[in-house]
Amino acid sequence: MAKQRTEVADIDRSLYDFRYGEEGFERLDAGLTPDIVREISERKNEPAWMLKHRLKSLEIYNKFPDPTWGPGIEGLDMDHIVTYVKPNTDQQATWDEVPDDIKNTFERLGIPEAERSYLAGVGAQYDSELVYHNMQGTAAQMGIVYSGIEEALQEPKWEAMIREKFMTLIPPTDHKFAALHGAVWSGGSFVYVPKGVKLDFPLQSYFRLNAKGAGQFEHTLIIVEDDADLHFIEGCSAPKYNVANLHAGAVELFVGKRAHLRYSTIENWSKNMYNLNTKRARCEEEGEIEWISGSFGSHVGYLYPMSVLVGRKSRSSFTGITFAGAGQNLDTGCKVVLGAPETSASVETKSISKGGGISTFRSSIVATPAAEGSAASVSCQSLMLDDISRSDTIPAMDIRAKNVDIGHEATIGRIGDDKIFYLMSRGISEEEARTMIVNGFANPVSKELPLEYAVEMNNLIKLEMEGAIG
Amino acid sequence: MDALKIQHVNAMPAPTWGWLKMNDVSIEIPADLERKCRVEIEAASELYEPNVSFEGALAALQERLDAARADAPVDTRAMLIAATGEDHGAEELDVPALSTYERRAVLSEHADDVARDFETGVGIDMRAYLNFLAGGTPVLATEAGGEAEATIRVTAQAGEASGASLDIVAAPDSTLELALSLDSAAEEPAFIGSTLRIFAGARSRVNLTVYLTASDAVTVVEDSGFVLDEDARVTVRHVVLGGAFTATGLAADLRGDRSRIDIDTSYLASGTEQRDFNYIIRHRGKRTLSNMDANGVLTGTSKKCLRGTIDLIHGAKGAQGNERETVLLASKGVDNKTVPTILCDEDDVAGNHGATIGHVRPEQLFYAACRGLSQEETEALFLSAKLEEAALNAPDDAIRSNVIRLGNALIPQFAEEFDFDDEGDLEEEIA
Repeated sequence: MAKQRTEVADIDRSLYDFRYGEEGFERLDAGLTPDIVREISERKNEPAWMLKHRLKSLEIYNKFPDPTWGPGIEGLDMDHIVTYVKPNTDQQATWDEVPDDIKNTFERLGIPEAERSYLAGVGAQYDSELVYHNMQGTAAQMGIVYSGIEEALQEPKWEAMIREKFMTLIPPTDHKFAALHGAVWSGGSFVYVPKGVKLDFPLQSYFRLNAKGAGQFEHTLIIVEDDADLHFIEGCSAPKYNVANLHAGAVELFVGKRAHLRYSTIENWSKNMYNLNTKRARCEEEGEIEWISGSFGSHVGYLYPMSVLVGRKSRSSFTGITFAGAGQNLDTGCKVVLGAPETSASVETKSISKGGGISTFRSSIVATPAAEGSAASVSCQSLMLDDISRSDTIPAMDIRAKNVDIGHEATIGRIGDDKIFYLMSRGISEEEARTMIVNGFANPVSKELPLEYAVEMNNLIKLEMEGAIG
Repeated sequence: MDALKIQHVNAMPAPTWGWLKMNDVSIEIPADLERKCRVEIEAASELYEPNVSFEGALAALQERLDAARADAPVDTRAMLIAATGEDHGAEELDVPALSTYERRAVLSEHADDVARDFETGVGIDMRAYLNFLAGGTPVLATEAGGEAEATIRVTAQAGEASGASLDIVAAPDSTLELALSLDSAAEEPAFIGSTLRIFAGARSRVNLTVYLTASDAVTVVEDSGFVLDEDARVTVRHVVLGGAFTATGLAADLRGDRSRIDIDTSYLASGTEQRDFNYIIRHRGKRTLSNMDANGVLTGTSKKCLRGTIDLIHGAKGAQGNERETVLLASKGVDNKTVPTILCDEDDVAGNHGATIGHVRPEQLFYAACRGLSQEETEALFLSAKLEEAALNAPDDAIRSNVIRLGNALIPQFAEEFDFDDEGDLEEEIA
């Protein structure tokens, strides 16, 4: 095996690591109490059932022990986390109405430009509240609803639908941070795509957490009715502080019969963030969910999008990449439940560990007795770029159905000498060969992203090959 | 009287989500079983060497390792800072937040203590129970450069609990062939088990063949822990065919450079039987190699859980761990769990895993259908093929007889069909 190592630069975070003051912002006290939960609910003028849900969730949260199987969360002290920070503006429909500091933040992140270029709608959340939401008139004419979830709760038609679906895929009893989310959730988007409607351009929500020592708990609820089609993009970032910040969002996706939903995410939090996010999709007959997921920032990450395939011939695919650098412990992967006949799932993940970072791929494939004739394939590849980092792979399979085909393969290692040798034998320099191999490693994920996001991802990874010899 | 419940048996080193119920297993042993040591050890008297001990072998290895690492550079990795909690001027958020198992792993690497790291597959509590049943732990030791064989048979009658505990020390350049049979034809609840601690000295060869052929009323626990010195090579063949509930645990510490372990597991579960496996392979030496290959058939409403962990520890430059599993699910009600784990704290290594879980392939079914066999009959063929293979490759006639007895219980006229006579000998074909 080669004695040389590929040198890969840390992610250049200067694009994301800037902050503005909080003049005019409203902060609740740090900590987690029933009074704080009540105050959040009151500020939002919610229906009574939601307050009840919040208080029940808090009760559940207080009973849950911390997870013992994943990265340490001892550094996350909820007594020092502010669960609600309201920016100095209400939700606006034009960028001109958004206060300058906040607008500048999203300008620097390229959101308005992306909206002009190729998005059908954009939602932008700053700390605990949405500050901007807009959708193109053509999409609205198709009957698509894309709004803040709290805004939708005020409409009787959507309130009934939200009440029927809200936290049914991710119940507060699911895990400790699902319960926390249920208690203090704030902001997030509601999307409804009517039967047969296919939107050619993506919708995007961007979540920016600016406040020091705060938490962000947005809730995204998407319903794609039968035969409909949607591509939804989610982006996240935050500046770095020397105290812990927390992100415990929730994403619930309902995919109807023969419907298709692609959910693309670049999670790019700062390195003081505890990212304890939960995402789940339910697919009906012949429905399809596609997850594209990039996990880059965070001090600690727990992220496992889950597909529950309950309809015959429903499908799920997950393509993900995780980059763990210095000081990071990112535990990522996915879960799939094959719960109906002839369902299928494919999982392809890549992870890169560098500079003392820890990356863990964790997954579960569960085939219930109803999943006769189903198939799943899982492939995970981990690349170690130095000998001070760590990369673990913990895939679990629980198969209870007959006539299923489940395949799994995993590899961990460094860049193989044989590959370098092969490329060098064709006249490519060693340094160039290493660059090509590492870029190729990340390619299956970046090629699935819209061009602008692929560029962002490449910027994030920014593979700098230097000193390839020694 | 309540059953004796032993928890956290066959625990995997790096746990996953609790809701999957795969991290470990609990074993219930009827409290009214009579402790009885029905253990036979067939070995030449020269193997009973009173001056050799397993602990002594580890101490000698530790001495050499300590001398070799005296000049090793100080470990300044961020993970070590995080694990020890020592103040190195680093901010809390600048070092990774370790999980419980990561912290344990880093501290173990740092201490590099062979005796403290020693483990067996089933875990401390279950091993303590097996030691209690055995009542004592004889030591079998080979001479340097010598060749030896030993067979251990553990059995129990209905209402009994019987266990064996052995230490085995293979001297440098020696070869040891070991066979272990865990068998009981009891038709009422019984328990049999064994625990082995095996030290494979430099350049030694240890070949262990284990057959579990108990009836479907018996609980069986088979446990082992290996430490391999430089260039040692261990081959393990696990053949698990019977037992109401079986737990197989194996842990191997590939401590010496270029040491190697190959594990070939063949299992069968029928009716309501349960199979539970835990393999933990720790690569600590440079250029160490492990290969795990498991192949099984599940029928009826049987259950199986296989945990296989390849742990590529910091410093194990050039190490390689490979794991492959093929499972045939031959009935609708089976439950097959697999969690193949690769832990990697070193970049100059390779870890590979592959699993195939499926049913009889369409082309195989077509071939069989052309010969008048239904899908069920074809799947039954796989079951009998597994038994036949086990019988043909049994280490001795007694163990072969156990397989035939089990085969006859599962498949009518199994012995006749495959030309075995009553004692398990393969009848010569008459032209």
